[in-house]
Amino acid sequence: MSLFMVQAQDTIPIKTSPERTKIVGEIPEAPKQVKAKTSTAIKNDTIIPVKKDRYGLRVGVDLYKLTRGLYDSNYKGIELVGDYRLTKKYFLAAELGSEDKTTEDDRLNTTTKGTYLKVGFDYNAYENWLDMENIISIGLRGGFSTFSQDLNSYKTYNAYPYWGEMPWKPSGESFSGLTASWIEVVTGIKVKVVNNIFVGFSLRLNVLIVDKKPSDNFENLYIPGFNRTYAGNFGAGLNYTVTYFIPLYKKTVKAKK
Amino acid sequence: MKKIVAFLLILTFSFSGCEKDDICDANTPTTPRLVITFYDINNPAVLKNVNNLKVIGDGMTEGIVFNSASDNSKYLTNGNTISIPLKTDANTTTYSFILNSGNLNPTLIDIDNVIFNYTRNDIFVSRACGFKTLFTFVPSLPLVHTAVPVTKQKWMQYISVEKSNIDNEDETHIKIFF
Repeated sequence: MSLFMVQAQDTIPIKTSPERTKIVGEIPEAPKQVKAKTSTAIKNDTIIPVKKDRYGLRVGVDLYKLTRGLYDSNYKGIELVGDYRLTKKYFLAAELGSEDKTTEDDRLNTTTKGTYLKVGFDYNAYENWLDMENIISIGLRGGFSTFSQDLNSYKTYNAYPYWGEMPWKPSGESFSGLTASWIEVVTGIKVKVVNNIFVGFSLRLNVLIVDKKPSDNFENLYIPGFNRTYAGNFGAGLNYTVTYFIPLYKKTVKAKK
Repeated sequence: MKKIVAFLLILTFSFSGCEKDDICDANTPTTPRLVITFYDINNPAVLKNVNNLKVIGDGMTEGIVFNSASDNSKYLTNGNTISIPLKTDANTTTYSFILNSGNLNPTLIDIDNVIFNYTRNDIFVSRACGFKTLFTFVPSLPLVHTAVPVTKQKWMQYISVEKSNIDNEDETHIKIFF
């Protein structure tokens, strides 16, 4: 993760520095000579390659959720991610996922199962040099989840344990048909590692808008996609993605005046 | 762009410490204790202080701690209000109320047993506190009051159930006149 950040930081396009361009060339991919040849305009003996942006669909999977099931026996989950480039800077982005998580709190043991969908956009704030296609983005998502929550067991809190600490009580109460909606602010990076294959990382700050509570006597402790709930309706999340870019068409970049 | 990277780093570190940091706040109303207030039998509107009252739960060897004294006097109270915890895993709790406890003259020590009968209801509080247990006295027989030994006169002359729902510790649930 930090490696990518360092790389990303180093790729600030300073067009006058030859050293910088060398570093840039190493990281994602060498500039394609073929493209430069076919679309080269010759003006006053100076070769100016016409820059073309590739547009298409990027699809992939969240490795964090996928691998978490290997070491966390209380967790099973998958998240598919995708984005579609709308303009030079804007990408339509979505995540679709499913989670089955058992949460062991100090006095509560609950299992949450459900699916979620997040749809929104990413804005690429990164100025790519030549035909690099890296992304450092800020985006927004609207999230929606349908899920169920089971209360497996609980402990009662007694500030005066004269009669001793009470054991866990089994409950088995199940609450289904729960829903939640939230907004996510997403900051992320995607780096092209091999041709058309990107690895990415994103951090998400979530604000819960509405959630259907299990009952007057209980609340949603975990929401698929939103993750653990906190007081004040805030939540947080992350993903670590590997995606494949399916190029659909190219667009010539207009030179800046 | 450096700002964005810095922002990402800050975000990463600020979220890393989020789990398992919530502790049940002591001010949160959780499982309430039974609040008993003592009144003068001759003047029922006037509070009356008990004298060296010790309260021991049935089957327990040590009494309820009423103050922070280091010796055995921590089990004694001389006030007019006590709060005692009810069992959250049974529908009855039995307490022995020992008046003049520790008195060198055994004939002055009065012991009354009270069995409290109630139903329980577990209510969700929060993630950190879990559940709390609320109690409701059984209307037909909220309590059974006997002297020890039973032939002896009870030192509590009248017990009045003021609140049959024990939801919090802000009110008196039982008044004892002696």
